[in-house]
Amino acid sequence: MHAIQTSNLTKRYGTSGAKSVLAVDRISFAVEEGQVFGFLGPNGSGKTTTIGMLVGTIKPTSGSFNLFGASDPKGLMVARARLGATLETPNFYPYMSGRDNLCVAAAVKGVGRPRIDECLELVGLSDRAKHRFKTYSLGMKQRLALAATMLNDPELIILDEPANGLDPQGIREIREVIRVLANRGKTIFLSSHLLTEVERTCSHVSIIRQGRIVACGAVAEVVGEGGAMLLRAEDPEALAGAIRAYPETTSVRRTDEGIVAALNADDVASVTRYLAGQGIYLTYLAPYRLSLEEVFIDLTQGAVDSMAEIASG
Amino acid sequence: MMLGVLLRIEWLKAVKRRSFWVAVGAFAVFIAIPAVERIRNVHKNPNLSYALPESWPDILGAAAGLGPFFVGVLMILLVAPEFTWRTARQNVIDGLSKERFYVGKVMLLAGLISFFIAIAMLVGVGGTLFSPSEGGPGILRPTDLSYLGSLALSLLLVGSAGLMLSVLIRSSGLALGALFLYLIVEEAVGRLISQAGGGLRRSAEYLPSNILDQLGNDLAHYPEVLADVNSRRMERGLEPREFLDVEVLAIAALVYSALFLGLAFLSMCKRDL
Ligand SMILES: Nc1ncnc2c1ncn2[C@@H]1O[C@H](COP(=O)(O)OP(=O)(O)OP(=O)(O)O)[C@@H](O)[C@H]1O
Ligand SMILES: [Mg+2]
Repeated sequence: MHAIQTSNLTKRYGTSGAKSVLAVDRISFAVEEGQVFGFLGPNGSGKTTTIGMLVGTIKPTSGSFNLFGASDPKGLMVARARLGATLETPNFYPYMSGRDNLCVAAAVKGVGRPRIDECLELVGLSDRAKHRFKTYSLGMKQRLALAATMLNDPELIILDEPANGLDPQGIREIREVIRVLANRGKTIFLSSHLLTEVERTCSHVSIIRQGRIVACGAVAEVVGEGGAMLLRAEDPEALAGAIRAYPETTSVRRTDEGIVAALNADDVASVTRYLAGQGIYLTYLAPYRLSLEEVFIDLTQGAVDSMAEIASG
Repeated sequence: MMLGVLLRIEWLKAVKRRSFWVAVGAFAVFIAIPAVERIRNVHKNPNLSYALPESWPDILGAAAGLGPFFVGVLMILLVAPEFTWRTARQNVIDGLSKERFYVGKVMLLAGLISFFIAIAMLVGVGGTLFSPSEGGPGILRPTDLSYLGSLALSLLLVGSAGLMLSVLIRSSGLALGALFLYLIVEEAVGRLISQAGGGLRRSAEYLPSNILDQLGNDLAHYPEVLADVNSRRMERGLEPREFLDVEVLAIAALVYSALFLGLAFLSMCKRDL
């Protein structure tokens, strides 16, 4: 069953006019139960807005979604009891201790007190639980948020940039907790602008750019779509020109190792035949696995280009 | 979810808040001072008395003076920061709907009103135990009951204004500013209108803070006392004081409170968190 399914979900902030922002634009995707789903996109692409609509704090402008198959208000209330989520930064009462904050969260979720200690234990905060939230370091705040998310033992866990602002050690710890949860069969929906994070923790990914989904699927699929080859020849210039003109080519990039060409079909024989026909004889050819980063940059190039334009004035 | 659960959640948030206890303590001190003064005077002068039911106007009057502002300010301090801390959003994510979050805050208001009245009773009634005066007959007269109800309504009126401002403005500093600015502006407007005289002057009496003043004034609730005061004013050639009927005051306070609470509800449901 789908844990999350959206259909043309759209959010426009402000009433239509020059000042309004189309933050999320007709996005449709589905998260199956048991998946660790990465929601990847650059800053301002609409990740938080999308999650806000799923958890019920932001009203969609149009489109629809369902959680565990429910889409009516009453069903959504019930379905939301099966999820745990944090948006953006950890949100707690600064004047209360970590433990008291979890007491409030537990009361809201209708969970008994014994769970509080378990969750504090899980994120390694037991010894600082009596200290006030405002005295916590960012890493501790993030871990408290994770503990609060876990209180109701949710089937679906939604995390918005859980690694944000953490040092490598902290990121590794969060990743470890996510792995443990995934092994327990939880569905995890995780937004991030960090590719390596998604690549390391997620089984599936959706890439969002300027409010639109530009790629979606299993990480291996998105990364390996079509196929890429690493090519070398005596004359790299001529090789680049020729392969760019090849009809199946989707993108060409020069790297230190040679020319990387992404192709719709990885029919090696046709490529070599075509290049030989152009008078280019390969000295090296190997399948090349694009990293998620390369796919991401390819797909979100629009934003990067405009940044570069701004930077170069 | 039961109302009790919502109240318990709000209670958990409030008990750990220092400003909550500071406000409660300040209020208790504020109403204890006149009571202590009274008791000392009674000890010095046996002709005076401090006993129930005769002293209800004093006890309730002390609470009606600043009580509403304590409740209004506390509502702002306990509601508005939930938006800046984003804890309102987290509460909704954790399973309170926006509607329930709002109902929780209304329960908080009801709790504060009961709590403040309880403190006033405790200080006032407790004070009579230290007084040598004999009271009676009875403990609570119908007029006392009406004054007590009016006290609750005046706490409700300012408390719901505080709730509305918090939900609309979503910042405790600005909401407090708005509350006081409103009171100053209304004071000025009210004075202008009453200078105009005639029917306009009548209508100024229905402005929220004038309703509040009248609800909290013991003269509006004890006709014998009012008659007494007015006859003395007549002797000095002053105009007699007039008050709207208690029923009218009560209805006006309820209408304003309903309006404030309704606006808060609409804003809460309509806006994103
Ligand atoms: N309350 C709001 N009012 C108006 N515009 C908003 C609001 N919240 C977000 N936006 C706009 O919507 C767009 C998407 O924002 P969103 O916060 O969803 O992005 P994001 O992908 O979470 O970004 P980040 O990685 O920086 O957290 C941005 O252009 C942002 O300016
Ligand atoms: Mg975000």
